[in-house]
Amino acid sequence: MFGLSNPQRFMAFTGPLTPVLWGLAAVLLGVGAWLSFTVPADYQQGDTVRIMFVHVPAATLGLGAYAALGVSSFFALVFRHALADAAARAAALPGAAFTALALFTGSLWGQPMWGTWWVWDARLTSVLVLFLFYLGYMALRASIDDEQKAGRAAAVLGLVGLINLPIVKFSVDWWNTLHQPASFLTPGSSGLDPVYLPPFLTMLAAYGVLFLALWLTAIRTEIRRRRVMTLRARLAQEA
Amino acid sequence: MLDLDMTPYAAFVWPAWGVSALVLIVLTVRAVVASRKWKRELARLEATESETNGAQVARSAVAPTNNGLRP
Repeated sequence: MFGLSNPQRFMAFTGPLTPVLWGLAAVLLGVGAWLSFTVPADYQQGDTVRIMFVHVPAATLGLGAYAALGVSSFFALVFRHALADAAARAAALPGAAFTALALFTGSLWGQPMWGTWWVWDARLTSVLVLFLFYLGYMALRASIDDEQKAGRAAAVLGLVGLINLPIVKFSVDWWNTLHQPASFLTPGSSGLDPVYLPPFLTMLAAYGVLFLALWLTAIRTEIRRRRVMTLRARLAQEA
Repeated sequence: MLDLDMTPYAAFVWPAWGVSALVLIVLTVRAVVASRKWKRELARLEATESETNGAQVARSAVAPTNNGLRP
C-alpha cells in the first residue's frame, strides 16, 4: 500500500486499473438506473422515493470524498508528500460536485415531502457548510501562485474541514431536524424496505466506483501536469 | 417492469435524475479530456527533451571535451 506513494509505482499500478473502474462504473450506473425505475412506488412517498437512489449516494460520496481530501491533506502537511497533495487536490472537484448534487436532489425531494425546498436544520446546514469547505479549498489553491504554499495553506483548511464530517453524520441524532435519521443499517430503526435495497446498493456502489475512477484519473493527470511543469522549466533553462 | 410515469411527482423526480446524470457526464468528460491533454503534452516534452539530450551527446562525441582521456 505504502509502495504506491511512489509516483512511478502509482502510475504503473493505476494505469490498467482506471479503465476497469470506468467500465465498472458505467455498468453499475446502467443497472442501478434500470433497477431504480422497476421497483414499485412507495406507499407514502410515491415516486419521489426514486430520488433517494441519486440523493443518498451523492451525499455519501460528498462526505467520503472530503474524508479522502482531509486524510490526503494530513499526509501532505505532515510528510510533505507530493502525491498526497495531488490526491487532496484531485478529490476536491468531484467531492464538491457530489455535495452540490446532494443539496440539489435533497431540495427536490424535500419540496413534495416536507412542503419546503430548504430549511435551516442541522443536517442541511452542515452539508451546506461542507460544500463551502470544498469551495474554500479550491479557491484557496487557485488564489496563491506558489503551488507549494497553496498546497500547504489548502491542506490546513482541508484538515480543519474534517471537524465538520461527524457533525454532518450525527447532526440528525444530536439535534431535532426535519431531515430523517439514518434508516439504512441502523439498529432499531424502521429501516429501508427490502424491495428498495437492490437499486439503492447498486447506485451506491456505482457512485463509489465512479468517484474512484474520477479520483485516480485526476491524480494521474496531476502527476503528469507537474512533470510537464518541471520539464518546461528545465527546457527553458537549457534554451 | 419499467415504470417511467412519475405522475404527480415528475417535476421533482426527472430534474433530480437529469441533473445528476448531467453532472456525472460533465465530471467524466472533463477528467478524460484533461487526462488526454496532459498526457499528450508530457509525451511531446519528453520527446523534445530526449532530442535535446541526444544532440548534446552527439556534440560531445564529435568534439569531446577535455575529460582526461585524451592524449
